[in-house]
Amino acid sequence: MLEISNLHVHFDLNGTIVKALCGVALGVGPKETLAVAGESGSGKTVTALSVTRLLPSSARVTSGEIYFNGDDLLLLGEGALRKVRGKEIAYIFQEPGTFLNPVYTVGNQIMEPLLLHQGLSRAEAFAEALKLLALVRIKQGRRVFFSYPHQLSGGMNQRIGIAMSLACRPRLLIADEPTTALDVTTETEILDLLCELKSNFGFSLLFITHNLSIARRIADRICVMHKGFVVEEADTERIFSSPQHFHTKELIRAYQAIGTL
Amino acid sequence: MAKSERAHTGMNKLLCTGIVIIGLLGALAILAPFISPYEPTLIDATSLLMPPSCAHPLGTDSLGRDLLSRIIYGARISLSIGIIAVGISLCIGVITGSIAGYFGGLADSVIMRSADIMLCFPTFFLILAVVAVLEPSIINIMVIIGLTSWMGIARLIRSEILSLKEREFIQAAKAIGASHMRIICRHLLPNALGPVFVNATLGIAGAILLESALSFLGLGVQPPVPSWGNILIESKATLGVAWWITLFPGLAIFVTILGFNFIAEGLRRQWDYNA
Repeated sequence: MLEISNLHVHFDLNGTIVKALCGVALGVGPKETLAVAGESGSGKTVTALSVTRLLPSSARVTSGEIYFNGDDLLLLGEGALRKVRGKEIAYIFQEPGTFLNPVYTVGNQIMEPLLLHQGLSRAEAFAEALKLLALVRIKQGRRVFFSYPHQLSGGMNQRIGIAMSLACRPRLLIADEPTTALDVTTETEILDLLCELKSNFGFSLLFITHNLSIARRIADRICVMHKGFVVEEADTERIFSSPQHFHTKELIRAYQAIGTL
Repeated sequence: MAKSERAHTGMNKLLCTGIVIIGLLGALAILAPFISPYEPTLIDATSLLMPPSCAHPLGTDSLGRDLLSRIIYGARISLSIGIIAVGISLCIGVITGSIAGYFGGLADSVIMRSADIMLCFPTFFLILAVVAVLEPSIINIMVIIGLTSWMGIARLIRSEILSLKEREFIQAAKAIGASHMRIICRHLLPNALGPVFVNATLGIAGAILLESALSFLGLGVQPPVPSWGNILIESKATLGVAWWITLFPGLAIFVTILGFNFIAEGLRRQWDYNA
């Protein structure tokens, strides 16, 4: 369904060219969960952002194709791309507090994609937003609806983020380290929620993480990245039972070392 | 959480004082026909240059017109010039500043260089020249003051937007498919307007002063319509015998500027604490 091939992305930092991605290729099938694992700076986030061309202005895609349902997203016009963003492909970001606009109530922000893409009236969008809040297991949805992001906890804000991303029933959800900023108990809750929603709605999930234990828990396949290259891609169990690449072994060792502490 | 607590402790004293002062002046201006004891242009040859008394609380001018009535009607002119001129500069400044800040590149260069060029002109003399060529009507004065004072607001908006557009919630807005227009109007501007309102409030005070200065030079609001500036200039001839004609309009300008400055400073502190 999503097919990235030979993706090269360069950053131009005041004349210095930094190669962030060097020929990345990966694919996500229908209803599949692919975890992209790797340490900081390996290019996971850049890969995720380049899917709907959300990269900062200093970045340039120098070559490659990103096919989504037959269209190359890199060749799509701005208008057509906006119809894909939020409607077909939705994002969940890392910092739950900062991706919400501080001047609007969270309910207002959940309504925004509904108003943008579904052509609902405000009253319909309000009802739909309340349903979404219930869907992400938020009790007292009405009270939360009228809260501002700074009044809610990180876990709550992340649930709002999930509700927002599911608003238009996207076919692909891209989650960029959605639990990194959360504590361990909240992390478990959010991961369980994601798995449950995935089985209910049947979207594909591209899950970015640096934590192999999370990848193992959630993913069908794992793709390991290092310094802008995909070094290994295989089924989750294969990655753990017979890692091929040196770097994968290192990541597994690191994760086991933490486990034995 | 500090933010919400502070936001609910209410307004600070400075802001309250400012709002009360400007509120009273505004009420005075709006209710002028009901409050003022005389017609502002009513000439009374029997009471020329009368000092403050019961019949004329602030005295009369050299044509026997009641000074209090003239100052009350003058508030209408001065306040509306201040507010509308700043409204015009706010519109221009917000639009140009947000385009420059959001899109950057060529648009940014063109807009900011024209702002720099405008800033290089001695604005007051530019206004003088333009008013001397066109006729000095109230509308012209509002428009000209507005057209020559948008640069500060544009710069402010641009710098706010430059820092805001890197924030994650702007990326999130893009990720749900919001258009540039929607991102600017719905997501960037509401977050950028705080410091701009502070600036605009000061701008109102500046515009009122500017109009007074123009009137003082005879190029502002034309008599017999009273504005604070042209009451002042008429007082010049009789300054030696009638101090009240100079003092009271001067005081009115002073209190108004003070009121707007209080509001500006109060707003700044209010939002600084909340930031």
